[in-house]
Amino acid sequence: MSDTSLTPRTGTIAPNPPRRALALHRELQSVWANDRGLWGQMTAVSHTTLGLRFMATAIIFFAIGGILSMLIRAQLASHQGAFLDTELYNQIFTMHGSIMMFLFAIPMLEGLAIWLLPKMLGTRDMAFPRLTALGYWCYLFGGLIMLTALLFGVAPRDGWFMYTPLSSAAYSPGINADVWLLGVTFVEISAIAAAVEITVTILRQRAPGMKLTQMPLFAWYMLGTSAMMLVGFPPLIAGSVLLEIERAFDWPFFDPARGGDPLLWQHLFWLFGHPEVYIIFLPAAGVMSMMIPVLCRTTILGYGAIVAAILGLVFLSFGLWVHHMFTVGIPHMALAFFSAASVLVAVPTAVQVFAWIGTMWKGSPQLHLPMYHILGFFLTFVMGGLTGVMLAIVPFNWQAHDTAFVTAHLHYVLIGGFVFPMMAAATYWMPLITGRRRVKGLGEAAFWVILIGFHGTFFIMHLTGLMGMPRRIDVYPDNPEWVWLNLTSSIFSFVLTIGFAMFVLDLILQATLGKRESRNPWRAPTFDWAMPIPSPNYNFASLPTARHLDRDADEVILPLARGEGILPGAPNGRRELLVTRVGDAQPDHVGVLPGNTALPLALSASIGVFVLLMLASLYALAGIALVPVAVLIWVWVRGMAPGDNLASVAVTPGLRLPVHHHARASLGQSGLVAFLVANGTLFASLLFGLAFVSVVTPGPEAPISTFTPRTTAIALGLVTLAVGLASACVAWSGRHGAAMLALLLNLGALVVLVWMAATQLDDPTRHARDALRAVMAGYVGLHLLVAAGMAAFALDQFRRGEITVDVTGAWPALRLWQRYTSVTTLVTIGVLTAQAVMS
Amino acid sequence: MRGGVLIAPVALIGCSGPLSTLQPGGATATEIAWLWWVMLAGAVALTMMMVVLIAMAFGAPRDTGARVWTHGMGLAFSLVVLSATLGAGLWVGERILPRDDGAVEVRARAFQWGWRFTHTDSDGNPVETDGLLHIPAGQPVDVLITSEDVIHSFWVPRLAGKLDAIPGRTNRARISADAPGTYAGLCAEFCGLGHARMRFDVQAHDTWPPALPDESEAP
Amino acid sequence: MRWLGLVLLGPALWAVVFSLVYGLHGTLCATASGPEDLGRAARLALVGAWLLGIAAFLPVFALIPERSGQAANLPRIGLWIGLVATLFTLFPVTVTTSC
Ligand code: HEM
Ligand SMILES: [Cu+2]
Ligand SMILES: [Cu+2]
Repeated sequence: MSDTSLTPRTGTIAPNPPRRALALHRELQSVWANDRGLWGQMTAVSHTTLGLRFMATAIIFFAIGGILSMLIRAQLASHQGAFLDTELYNQIFTMHGSIMMFLFAIPMLEGLAIWLLPKMLGTRDMAFPRLTALGYWCYLFGGLIMLTALLFGVAPRDGWFMYTPLSSAAYSPGINADVWLLGVTFVEISAIAAAVEITVTILRQRAPGMKLTQMPLFAWYMLGTSAMMLVGFPPLIAGSVLLEIERAFDWPFFDPARGGDPLLWQHLFWLFGHPEVYIIFLPAAGVMSMMIPVLCRTTILGYGAIVAAILGLVFLSFGLWVHHMFTVGIPHMALAFFSAASVLVAVPTAVQVFAWIGTMWKGSPQLHLPMYHILGFFLTFVMGGLTGVMLAIVPFNWQAHDTAFVTAHLHYVLIGGFVFPMMAAATYWMPLITGRRRVKGLGEAAFWVILIGFHGTFFIMHLTGLMGMPRRIDVYPDNPEWVWLNLTSSIFSFVLTIGFAMFVLDLILQATLGKRESRNPWRAPTFDWAMPIPSPNYNFASLPTARHLDRDADEVILPLARGEGILPGAPNGRRELLVTRVGDAQPDHVGVLPGNTALPLALSASIGVFVLLMLASLYALAGIALVPVAVLIWVWVRGMAPGDNLASVAVTPGLRLPVHHHARASLGQSGLVAFLVANGTLFASLLFGLAFVSVVTPGPEAPISTFTPRTTAIALGLVTLAVGLASACVAWSGRHGAAMLALLLNLGALVVLVWMAATQLDDPTRHARDALRAVMAGYVGLHLLVAAGMAAFALDQFRRGEITVDVTGAWPALRLWQRYTSVTTLVTIGVLTAQAVMS
Repeated sequence: MRGGVLIAPVALIGCSGPLSTLQPGGATATEIAWLWWVMLAGAVALTMMMVVLIAMAFGAPRDTGARVWTHGMGLAFSLVVLSATLGAGLWVGERILPRDDGAVEVRARAFQWGWRFTHTDSDGNPVETDGLLHIPAGQPVDVLITSEDVIHSFWVPRLAGKLDAIPGRTNRARISADAPGTYAGLCAEFCGLGHARMRFDVQAHDTWPPALPDESEAP
Repeated sequence: MRWLGLVLLGPALWAVVFSLVYGLHGTLCATASGPEDLGRAARLALVGAWLLGIAAFLPVFALIPERSGQAANLPRIGLWIGLVATLFTLFPVTVTTSC
């Protein structure tokens, strides 16, 4: 299992005989194409369709966020404030920030990855196509909820980081804050879903023989990004759930009067929030690393150094979050840790930037349109990075924090580090999307207008901030000295907007009026161009292998289109792709993907109903609305059951591979592991919260607990015993009886837990510690419930005869989940017992 | 006075103003302003360097080694620059930190939307004032900051950096004014509808405790 | 897979040491009465924890052999990343005011 050996074992895979390309295309199209018409759009699960739709929707949200920013700038153009009242203004800047971060940047990068990764890695779709679709619908519905709230004047208004207590029920009555908490969490489902499938796709669906160290750099970047999303989003989800519970049921997690702590929210938020900016930056850096070498007619300089830089960034960026909290009164030593980490993170960034510049030196840069935006990126991002280092310096931060200086900085990095690269990427990959050539001239003009507009707007905002203008104010009647600065910013911001409009117009013109482009217009050596343009849903008529790497895509297109690669066509009338092993990418089995279905739409709609009922404070009904959600999930999982009995498939003349039902480690297995990583982080966030309010929070001590030690001890003992036994029995045997036993044990543990929560646990509204304990009990209960559900599912599979000697069905998933449930249950019981004993 | 050295060029390019961090009125703010000017100079130099490096990339391909870029520039060069910056920051930070040195203490309570301040008069009685904080000039003063409702932030740009007012906690900020006079302050953390108008003033006095007119009454 | 695990080892070790020292510092400051400094014992504990954290890297260096080629050598590079990060981000335990 040595992954670093350099022998290309895949060289031994014999090619398939060539066939007629058109026949292959028809065969694949009939299996992989979307259904017709509008309904076909609802049921589509194709990564090409959904990736593009993600990006298109994100661009629409960008436009909406942009319009809001115009309102902000119009208001700030004079010191009296032009036309908005404060309430509305607060909603507008909150929505601008939230839309740009959650409804533009994150979905944009998800869409890019979903669209591009399978093409670059040489496969036909993402690992979980239905999940892709689910993610899209959750994003759309969450976004629509937030927009609707804006239309009705009840949008969130507490700033995009929603600091408590301003956002808690006492100071933010009404549903505004709930819209944010529920809407963003709803959208977050799509982030977790995307992260899971991106991870699995990169690790398990690379072209055979493409070792990790041979991946295109974009894949490394996305691997880092998705890992960060798996670990970065759960703290925010945890925080949002806690705050929503506080608002709905008065559990005082963040209320200082009852032992809660507003700073806990800030920690949880920024534990997400800082990694978030790197989550946004890494994919952008990924496309830079792909485009720069091609546009400079050379290869990337320092591949290994860049991978190391990604590795460093992924980890370091989790050690910086406190730099957003330098002014909350944290001891200087702790500030120094985070200040040091914040400047250190600039090192891997510098490594990348210099590697790119070195690449340009090595090659001969061609001034095509994407290169303009790349240059715009360099200028803008470097400046944003430098002000970032300044802000990492504690004393300076004390002055500049929460001023227009920070607004300037964050737009330099977000627009410089994300929007410019995305514009470069859009102009670079447009031919693959549309099959058309660009109309000359407009694109260059748009670039210049954007560049001038951007720097004109934001450059002097550094000075505005240093002259004392705080962010998030709507009027400044006493400060005429800020007027000329703001007026200049406002004027240029309209230039900027015109620039963006020109850019979008250019894309539209290209898509509608452009002439046909030839294949592989940039002469790139990567798989994403080794296909017809515009790219068909199935990407490759036959799949490439490592043999095809680093060759001009032109030489690869034809053989692949004629079926000389792996797994040509769709002979079995179903969506098949090759699943490889993590390290060396040796072929493992053939994955069969689900076809078009409306299930994702239905599931996300039913989650949407739950969210709306929560918003309406109809909590009992919301609970009931979870039933259809559970039913649909059951149906969903049933859809993965083996449908036919074709147990193996010939991928090349000499090689037959089992279909995934017969494989030991299926994609689903890997996905569950990734999901449990995220879930584990959520659990850790709760533990962190408990530790934080117990140790750091200065507020009132928790009152004495009222439980009866003997009864509680017995109950906890029973739960421990039950989960321990359940784990043991699913590990011990894969038989019907074991599933039955697991079902009963989990239900038993759940009943004891519920009884204990009802009779022994302290009233969660009296103190933050008790509230957190109750939440942890709820977490365990939920997991027991799911474990029981999975055991029931396995039982059902036994009944149907779907689990046999060599078909494992849901069993491995049950085993994994049960183990996770047992561990978290034991940790929870251990922590709570230790706390009780120590106090 | 060191502040004067800064003010002269600053006023010329229009960076002055009642809330300008670039027109410091006390030791703490002066140190931070210096830090800024030095960092600005460095940032300008680095930006120019990058622009030149990129401009030079256009043209015929060149035979360049990877390590010069990734290790030389990316690692070594950036680490040196960053370490120096960090060191300067920590050094300044240590110098302006509040210490247990018997500095005058005053209190600030933030609420939606205003400030209530307390100082001690010559008899040792607390004196409460609304929206106007009295401090002695020419010496460091510690402000004990807290909040009654949501989070606010105490900021007098010409005297020192900001520090948050957080319900349930008391934070200690050190400010100092070189000369007697009035310095403008504001709430820097978004706190709802009245945030933009949550201003206050700091009055630095030559004599301490100040002899105030009757409008301030002891509670 | 194993290789990927080894790649993560160095930075993960940094993450653990960083969290532990930060947590220790937070706990010490939360239990301290006055502002400012914690006194000699607490500082020694912090410095000790930092040094232990650095020392923890040494056996791992022995575990992971050097390889040729930047990509193949990634686990080793990861260790260096972790070590440098531990040195750089936690050195303030020696110089800054503690609380
Ligand atoms: C289209 C051009 C844009 C303009 C003119 C613009 C303008 C502004 C302005 C003036 C503010 C500050 C309001 C204030 O606090 O006083 C702001 C805040 C913000 N902007 Fe933008 N922006 C633009 C694009 C973006 C983009 C592309 C992103 C992110 C990808 C973004 C993210 C944010 C965030 C996160 C905030 C903070 C919101 C808050 O304080 O809660 N903006 N923007
Ligand atoms: Cu950050
Ligand atoms: Cu405020």
